[in-house]
Amino acid sequence: MTRKWKAWSIRGIAVPILLLGSAVFAQAQESLLERDVLPILTKQCLGCHGGLRQKGGLDMRTVPAMLKGGKSGPAVKSHDANASELWKRIQADEMPPGEKKLSPAEKAHIKQWITRGLPTVAKSQKDDDPILKAGQKHTPKEVAAAIDQHLNKALASARLKAAPRSEDGEFLRRVYLDLTGRVPTAEQAVAFLDSKDQDRRAKLIDTLLATPRFGEHLGRTWRDWICPPELPSDGNGGAQPHKQAQNLGKWLGERFAAGDSWAKITRDIITVDGQINNKPQVIFFGLVGQGGRLTADGAARAVGSLFLGVQLQCAQCHDDPYRDWSQKEHWALAAFFRKITGDFNKVSEGKAGGAAKNITQITIPNSAFKNVGTTVNAAFLKGKVLSVKKDEALRPHLADWLTAKDNPYFARAFANRMWFYFFARGIVNPVDDFRALNPPTHPGLMKLLANEFGAADFDVKHLIRCICNSDAYQRTSRVQGKFNEHDLAALTMAFGRMPLRVMTADVLFDSLKLAYGDPGLDLRAIESKGSSTAGMSAPVADAYLEFLRRFGTNKEDATDFTHGIPQMLTMINHPRLLAGSRALDSHRKRKPAPTSAQTVEWLYLSTLSRRPTSEEHAEAARYLAQTKESYIGVLWMLVNRSEYLLVR
Amino acid sequence: MFQHNPPLSRRDFARLSAAGVLSSVTVPWFETLAQAAAIRRPRGKSCILLWMDGGPSQQHTFDPKPNGEFRAAPSSVPGIRIVEQLPQLSQCMNDMAILRSMQTQINDHYDAKYFLHTGFRRVTGFEHPAIGCIASHQLGPVNDDMPGFVTIDAGYDIRNDGGRLYRSVPAYLGPQHSPLAVNDPGRGLENLRQPDSDLDARLTMLAGSERRFAQDYPSPAVSARQAAFNRAVRLMQSRRSRAFNLDDESASMREAYGSHRFGQSCLLARRLIESGVSFVEVFHRGWDDHNGAARNMILRAPWLDRAMATLIRDLKQRGMLDDTLIVWMGEFGRTPGDGNGHFSNAWSTMWAGGGINTGQVIGRTSDTGRNPGGTVTQRPISPPDYIATLCLALGIDIHQNFQAPGQRPMPVADHAAQPIRELLR
Repeated sequence: MTRKWKAWSIRGIAVPILLLGSAVFAQAQESLLERDVLPILTKQCLGCHGGLRQKGGLDMRTVPAMLKGGKSGPAVKSHDANASELWKRIQADEMPPGEKKLSPAEKAHIKQWITRGLPTVAKSQKDDDPILKAGQKHTPKEVAAAIDQHLNKALASARLKAAPRSEDGEFLRRVYLDLTGRVPTAEQAVAFLDSKDQDRRAKLIDTLLATPRFGEHLGRTWRDWICPPELPSDGNGGAQPHKQAQNLGKWLGERFAAGDSWAKITRDIITVDGQINNKPQVIFFGLVGQGGRLTADGAARAVGSLFLGVQLQCAQCHDDPYRDWSQKEHWALAAFFRKITGDFNKVSEGKAGGAAKNITQITIPNSAFKNVGTTVNAAFLKGKVLSVKKDEALRPHLADWLTAKDNPYFARAFANRMWFYFFARGIVNPVDDFRALNPPTHPGLMKLLANEFGAADFDVKHLIRCICNSDAYQRTSRVQGKFNEHDLAALTMAFGRMPLRVMTADVLFDSLKLAYGDPGLDLRAIESKGSSTAGMSAPVADAYLEFLRRFGTNKEDATDFTHGIPQMLTMINHPRLLAGSRALDSHRKRKPAPTSAQTVEWLYLSTLSRRPTSEEHAEAARYLAQTKESYIGVLWMLVNRSEYLLVR
Repeated sequence: MFQHNPPLSRRDFARLSAAGVLSSVTVPWFETLAQAAAIRRPRGKSCILLWMDGGPSQQHTFDPKPNGEFRAAPSSVPGIRIVEQLPQLSQCMNDMAILRSMQTQINDHYDAKYFLHTGFRRVTGFEHPAIGCIASHQLGPVNDDMPGFVTIDAGYDIRNDGGRLYRSVPAYLGPQHSPLAVNDPGRGLENLRQPDSDLDARLTMLAGSERRFAQDYPSPAVSARQAAFNRAVRLMQSRRSRAFNLDDESASMREAYGSHRFGQSCLLARRLIESGVSFVEVFHRGWDDHNGAARNMILRAPWLDRAMATLIRDLKQRGMLDDTLIVWMGEFGRTPGDGNGHFSNAWSTMWAGGGINTGQVIGRTSDTGRNPGGTVTQRPISPPDYIATLCLALGIDIHQNFQAPGQRPMPVADHAAQPIRELLR
């Protein structure tokens, strides 16, 4: 069973979902490039016949390149396996050269793919009509309806039945966690749960989008997407810019809260010039640079991943072995940052130095291991070469190109990332790997969201409002009745059901602070006196950083529960979590004095955002009777529930 | 970007569902106790890394020079001399091998720590797994109560300099191979127990709701959460977790290791290896002796000598030395002579036990010239060579590839690595 979860997610489900709503879905047996052939080529062939090495002059990364072939002729000939060098070599076990040869099943896939005329998923996805008209902004209701139309059509063609709408309590907690990064207070929960307003969900979404917490939370979310797993530092003392990174999150948060467009925010980051004390975004370049300094290639990689949705990291040192990105494309983007200098505290437009004469040119440095010393001109990705006047700043040109309405990458990269944020899975996955051979699961939906985001002048709140008002976002994650695990996983991947996601460290910390009524909550190790023998103990980072480090989650997959023994021991045994809650104390002091059952209900509302069931009331009552009303024990039980740590 | 696929949580999911561990309303955690207590470390290698953070001086320890500040004294192996300040260790020389020709290129603390822990140079945005995490991944028993990798902070003595401490990250091996950190050997594992509490009553209150939640929301995330929670509770109640508690050792044993926090850390490391942990890293800080190594080394030598020699003898006496590799090192050495500066060009590390060829010195540094000890004259050892040898000594296949982000195959050790074959049996 275990292996199945994994296998389904990779082969059994992920790729068939690509075919939802396409004519090919019926022909599940047909070998397709992206689903059946590419994984084999990647594993067995591209190491020597890809971007890194092209033995025999052969590049197999794309179909055109395979048709062109190498010294021995075309690698593939459509409909004719016996005239295809690829088939001849693998059939005779000449290739791959090592001891491990292709299995009969792998061979069969490749042969069939050739004889059927090299079919691809991308080609079969002809139906990419976005439903709503491009170039025009629509109401959130219209967009939400179109989103659902896309998803429902795909679900129907896969004969999957969407999960029903969530209950109010489930929706309430989810939308508070997603839009404000914290559970609602008991009072906020009651106000919503007791509301009879037909439109209460849409109104709640509007209310939350208008709070400063919305911006703050999206800001820190983006901060985490920008920051590498371990913050950079200089090579010696190694101090990391945690404070600066936090300030970047706050700055982003203020921009999001104020309703600034993604285009404006992007421009303000990319073209920043000055000191960190009045321009917190300068740390962006330090965070993605190397050893505490801005680097042109780091900036290019980050712009690629975060603003364009493409992975250029491999192409820094050589052509990407597996993807169709050339080293030249990477450095053409890096050339925009060649002149500027910067560190953790400043960025400034520098002077053109180095080997290249022209200010728009960059020289591939020694750190790359191919084409060192080659000069590359600044150019827009798969676009025209930059030409500027002497001494002109280059970054504004990049910002102009990026944020132009007709930029093919910018809007879809952001829209896909926000979709990934809400559903734990992008329409394209990974979220920064848009390319022809990694097609979207729902091409029409991808177009719709990108169009709408562009037409709304990159209005972040508008995009989020559209998504959150859809049925898709408001479906339950609960599983009713008997279920088949395969269908369940397929349904989740087809966005027909909400997955359970793991609370990020920020969200968990803020929610715990609320439950304990303690803004300064500190779950670090408690220093004991006199227990050590000799020597002094380690200084520990501040409570917030330490919590973030300990409870960090998988940024690439929010459904992946990665906490282990240290995290669980903290939740189970940290003395602070049993030492009392100011929020609970002030609740108990209310007049008239709350009954025991009322307090239990209040505790449920302030942690799980719902009222307890009668069974849960009984369990709590039994415990309270045993322990002379230890309400803190009930609170401990609630924050130690799976239901607490996971977003339903 | 890529997807981590922690196999452990998925495995737990199956195991727990199959065993119905979560389906009982009574507290189910006790059932596994008897079983857990019986498990001992399966035969296989393990490692204790003693990390002197900041860079210890080779000439004041294992590579003394004729006109150096410290005098060389003979050891139990004829022809091998180490400083006279380490008398007990010099009597363990038959079980030790000294590597005197480390040549590691990086003189910056943090980048050097990274290089020596991973075998790869540090770059932004790409993390390599640390050796402890690799060992946990390769050697650790699956789904054991005990973690595969533990770090112990032995604190610092004089000054806490030498830059930021390197924290081991598992990177693409998955978070279950992160180290479990012990911040104070005298206190054991943080949050392991709760004195005088009504934990059982609370666990009982929790059990019913967890069972219901797993039924209503069957998913890998729920199973993984419940499995992690149950493992933590099992560890709390497992006899093996007493390995974290030094109070179980006799006073004479604690005394033998020395009252210094480093000695107690070595004792804790031995207890953990004994109970099934695959890799323990003990770090002691403040070895960045910019005002000369001699004075500080005179203060350190007694506790260092005593703790390490006791560790070697203790492991040997328990029949564990052949399976337990001890490695003593920092991120680089110090400039020849007074040891004021960082020095990556020619420095020493010491290995003991582990079934390697001990009683020998690998590599050599210059004895004469204007700057004795300034260059390697025989068998330079690079960080990739070093990590590759360490892996081989632990029985880890260095030719396998891990899958790193972006479908990038990453070898365990750099392809250019040349393992030190003389050291391996």
